[in-house]
Amino acid sequence: MLEFHQLSKKYGRIEALKQVSFSVPKGTVFGILGPNGSGKTTLLGILMDVLKANAGSCTLNGNPVGPAERRKMGAFLETPNFYHYLSAEENLRIAAEIKQRGSQDIERVLHQVGLHARKDTPFSTYSLGMKQRLAIASALLGDPEILVLDEPTNGLDPVGIAEIRELILQLASTGKTILLASHLLDEVERVCDHVAILKYGTLIASGSVNSILPSGDIIELASENKDLLSKILSDFPGMVHLEAEGDFLLMQLATEENDLAVINRFCFERNIILSRLALRKKSLEKTFLELTHQS
Amino acid sequence: MLPLLRVEWLKIRRYKAFLILSIFYALGVFILNYIVYSVFDNMVKNSQAGALIDQFNPFAFDHVWQTVSYASGYLLLMPALLMLLLVTNEYTYRTNRQNIIDGWSRAQSIQVKWMLALLFSIISTALVMIVGFLFGSLSGSDFSWDGFSHIGYFFLKSVSYLMLAILLGVWLKRTGIAIGVFFLYLGGENILAQILDVFSLKIKQQYKTDLGSLGDYLPMNASDGLLTFPENPLKSMAEASLPTQYSGVSIACAIIYLALFLFLSDRTIRKKDL
Repeated sequence: MLEFHQLSKKYGRIEALKQVSFSVPKGTVFGILGPNGSGKTTLLGILMDVLKANAGSCTLNGNPVGPAERRKMGAFLETPNFYHYLSAEENLRIAAEIKQRGSQDIERVLHQVGLHARKDTPFSTYSLGMKQRLAIASALLGDPEILVLDEPTNGLDPVGIAEIRELILQLASTGKTILLASHLLDEVERVCDHVAILKYGTLIASGSVNSILPSGDIIELASENKDLLSKILSDFPGMVHLEAEGDFLLMQLATEENDLAVINRFCFERNIILSRLALRKKSLEKTFLELTHQS
Repeated sequence: MLPLLRVEWLKIRRYKAFLILSIFYALGVFILNYIVYSVFDNMVKNSQAGALIDQFNPFAFDHVWQTVSYASGYLLLMPALLMLLLVTNEYTYRTNRQNIIDGWSRAQSIQVKWMLALLFSIISTALVMIVGFLFGSLSGSDFSWDGFSHIGYFFLKSVSYLMLAILLGVWLKRTGIAIGVFFLYLGGENILAQILDVFSLKIKQQYKTDLGSLGDYLPMNASDGLLTFPENPLKSMAEASLPTQYSGVSIACAIIYLALFLFLSDRTIRKKDL
């Protein structure tokens, strides 16, 4: 388990982090969500010791995070940092040496990110997307238990973004802990099971995605006779909200579990044939905006 | 320690500036000494006072160590320039951050640069030794270890230059600025040293107190001052009125400054955001 204890960081008079504490359970895909300038990169920078906290600490399984702990992590922070005059393979060899891993892993990670064909050309000739992939390859060296990724899909084309998300999900399925900072809500929604939300350096919430960002799902219904449908639905047990939107009726229930079959039977028994019955996820963005707005 | 240096070797072995500066430096040490050697040789052969000058041959053994150390000392600007490039490159490419992220401690990231500076100094000192032996043998005199301590002074000067380069690198981070400040500093310190030397001359004449050459108590001049052209008839005449060279004090100063450079560069790396 990776833990952040009371982290504070000031840049001059600006407080980038204010006593942020939360823990990342082993084996989770943990999203750090927040708008630009909320302190995500600062937090990860402190974890990897490239930034010095004014107060607080980071621990891995109870031990302060030091060089030995960092060697067990793979991290990609902000920008791909490589020696411009060296090739992909030579750059990865340096990283592998520092991580004290053999260089036999280099071929594997280059294949994994699709850079193997360009492994001998200098880094300076790479496109932004390729540089990004090399940084991810470097993070994957030595098969680390924990991956720290800061905006990993920044600068990638749609295909690249999909590939990286696929890779993250695949890595997550092998039981790795993944710490992912992003300002892209749908990215976090798609890949993360846990989330911490930062705003102006303050931790607003942290925990499982379901508990922090409750689905509050909406059920979309339609029938030939909209008024009649509306009338019987108002008697549906657990109904808390009902409104019309175009040809549809939107219903919200008090419970988290929305069993569509029960609703279907309920209407059918009352001689209403539904032409539409669907679950609409409440947009995470809306929930997120609500959350960050409250504080 | 060796694993750290191996990483450093992976970084520099394909770095063009490293290859070019190393070759230029190695050739430079030979060529510069050869120029001094041949100028002197011509003077002996062609000038009327040749016979008198020939009594003093700077490349004869017991002088040769001092001569080659002094002459080669000027070329130490090249490895210092290389060191500045190697340190500031890490900031330019932000690889100093990556090295830490990948698992070096901050202390290790500066220690490896110190080790590199030591290694460069050892190699260039060995080179100067070889050149000294070569020209000493060419001069036709009998081999002697006399004056060999100047090779040690050369080593001290080399380490001082390279450690100052590392310190300016970690302080200034930008390649151009660091190189500019390095040369401005060397120039500025030399001017200050001249002023101090005039001052020490006055002290000696007016107060009959010999404090030594005060300019030599400055950071870079401490190790520079240890390396001078060998005693010769011309120099000896001027010497009488000049303040004494206290080589012991100069060595102590150079070592204290060196320790200060190490302390400051270490502290900067440990405390600052990268």
